[in-house]
Amino acid sequence: MEQERKMKAGIECINAGKVFVTPEGEHEVVRNLSFATKENEFLVLFGPGQCGKTTIINMIAGFEDVTSGRILADGKKVEKPEPSRGVVFQNIALFPWMTTMGNVEYGLKIRGVKKEQRRAEAQKYIDLVGLSGFENSFPVQLSGGMKQRVGIARAYCNEPEVMLMDEPFGALDAQTRYLMQEELQRIWSAEKRTVIFVTNNIEEALYLADRIIVLTNCPATIKKEYVIDLPRPRNLVSEEFLALRREITGILDSSQED
Amino acid sequence: MLKKKKWGYTLASLVSVVTVLAAWYICINVLHLKAETVFPGPITVAKTFFQKLYTKAPDGATLLVHLASSLKVALLGYALGVVFGVPVGIMMAWNKWVDRFVRPLFDLIRPVPGLAWIPMFILLFGIGIMPKAAVIFLSTAVACIVNCYTGIRQTRQEHLWVGDVFGASDAQKLFRIAIPTALPMIFTGLRVAMGAAWMALVAAELLAASEGLGYMIQQGRYSSKPALVFVGMLMIGLVGLAMDVVLHWLEKKVAKGMNAE
Amino acid sequence: MKEESKENLVCGLCAITSVFAFLLVWYLGCTFTALGKLLPDPITVLIGMWGYIVGTVGKCSLLMHALHSLQRVLIGFLIGSALGISLGLLMGRYRLARAIFNPIFRVIRPIPPIAWIPISIIWFGLGETPKIFLIALAAFANTTLNAMTGAESVDKTVINAAKMLGANEFQIFTTVVIPSAVPSIFAGLQVGISCAWASVVAAEMVKASNGLGWIIQAGMDNNNMTQIISGIIMIGLGGFILTYIMRTIEGVACRWNRSGR
Repeated sequence: MEQERKMKAGIECINAGKVFVTPEGEHEVVRNLSFATKENEFLVLFGPGQCGKTTIINMIAGFEDVTSGRILADGKKVEKPEPSRGVVFQNIALFPWMTTMGNVEYGLKIRGVKKEQRRAEAQKYIDLVGLSGFENSFPVQLSGGMKQRVGIARAYCNEPEVMLMDEPFGALDAQTRYLMQEELQRIWSAEKRTVIFVTNNIEEALYLADRIIVLTNCPATIKKEYVIDLPRPRNLVSEEFLALRREITGILDSSQED
Repeated sequence: MLKKKKWGYTLASLVSVVTVLAAWYICINVLHLKAETVFPGPITVAKTFFQKLYTKAPDGATLLVHLASSLKVALLGYALGVVFGVPVGIMMAWNKWVDRFVRPLFDLIRPVPGLAWIPMFILLFGIGIMPKAAVIFLSTAVACIVNCYTGIRQTRQEHLWVGDVFGASDAQKLFRIAIPTALPMIFTGLRVAMGAAWMALVAAELLAASEGLGYMIQQGRYSSKPALVFVGMLMIGLVGLAMDVVLHWLEKKVAKGMNAE
Repeated sequence: MKEESKENLVCGLCAITSVFAFLLVWYLGCTFTALGKLLPDPITVLIGMWGYIVGTVGKCSLLMHALHSLQRVLIGFLIGSALGISLGLLMGRYRLARAIFNPIFRVIRPIPPIAWIPISIIWFGLGETPKIFLIALAAFANTTLNAMTGAESVDKTVINAAKMLGANEFQIFTTVVIPSAVPSIFAGLQVGISCAWASVVAAEMVKASNGLGWIIQAGMDNNNMTQIISGIIMIGLGGFILTYIMRTIEGVACRWNRSGR
């Protein structure tokens, strides 16, 4: 029994689907999605442009309902957002009127954690993401990359069991994006969590993932799954890396031609 | 399901309006919490409205005559204010030297609410249409200048550079680039000015007038006819709203697509 | 840096020149033309005003009158804006609240606060209450709408962020909706304070025994132009101080909203 419960920890999608009803008609965004995370796994959902990846994250987070199938978190049906599932947003979505410290400690504060304790906890994560010295800056005073570091620290500090990342580096420029991928790799290695990471950038996917689920274009369904067991940190120009990259890009191209 | 929810909200709005009217009626006409000489019931107000359409008592004119008189003064002062205020605002924002010399004077006048000039203008121009028109002119002009100035100042430097690249003259840059940029703000100015003008007019008519809606409600107070005061207030609100709607419609026609914000 | 201070110098010189020129025209106009019969020259006004400040006008000094007006504004403004902001925030966040209050609000809003003067005198007599009621109304009408838009237009993902961190509806309202509506609320307070200032002047002009509105009204009754102009200057100064205070508070409360430098 205990064994079985342990097995169910993490996120499990069972035939999950989503259909939006608009005045123009029904619009199917996600179809028949089934997968389960393993403990402390870095799972990447990789798919082309507008294929409903954000909707998947929103459903797992509990911001949107599934219209068919089920999504389970720790074996329980996802009904609303919960602190056990942290989210890092594509548009960052910091609280602009709070300082870095205010943002990071927010989750602890609303749970009534005492000031000294939550300050110490938040400081730990601010240091972890490399923002020491910017505790009292407002988001407008930070660069895009720094803002997303706050976003990551904010999600981490709440000590979720699963981290959901919705193209967190999508709004950043190429250089910053590359740096942030390295940073995330480092942070995740230091504080292991189960991560579901959504991206449309194959290099990012291969650099970070333990496992990649390749999604088809709208409606999003699972095209293929890859387990990536290259050693970390990964070499972006190694033989194996490039071969995988070519292969995944290839199946995506062929799927788009259908 | 969504539709059902919408109906629910419309119902809530209807219920709320009916409740207020019913509460008003019950408090005044059934429970007599306040005498009708202090707080008239809804039926009295409606009756007074229709009566006022053809009776002249107690203030010497029917509702529509008062309304026409108010509108005449308001529109005269408003038109003059716009004709003066818009170009001045634009020039101040466009020309550095105009800005340097005119703005200090403008900054001195701006914090004074338009209606504070009423006593001065009455002494200067006597009682009649002139002091009222002057007050409205001033209120309108100030609102127009502020908004036109901000609007023109919003012009993006890059757009002006584009003009330079194509060899546009100063006037062309003003009329083809800066003014279109400022148009939404200019319209905001026209609407704010309309509100200010209407408010200034009511104030002027409360203080010194022999006709007009402001005069009518003041007379309603003197002759203890609060129902008449209510009718006048509602009329003032209604006309203000109507003028705002007209300007809003005009704005949409003229500046379509430009006020994306 | 050097460029900047030079620009400031030029602007300062221009400002002084233009204000001085204005005073000179005023002075010459009064000395050499028929205008002098109607209007005192600036020096007379200055001396007169000093007399009012150190001496008395009516029952007390000019400064005391200003304080009376300011006190009324502050009390009324606090009451009105507190009510307006609370209602607006609720209306912005909860559609049911909007459905209930919006129809009523829409009827009241277009009526300029000044049009309420006669009815407020009928209701509350001649003391302080009608004036404070009026100012509260002016503040209320101007803040409600802005607070509503502010609460309505909170970024949805920011609310989602709070939800995923574990905030309940009450916590979302107090820690997310309210702070993110603050800039919008201040825009409303800014308009509200000028409107409230204009309203207190109007109310004092219609019926009062002190305050700046009374000064200009009494000046008109006694044909005393110096008193009127002194009053107008004080009204302008009061308006300026009020908006300045408001801006300062806004600057502190919304410092997260400016690009940091």
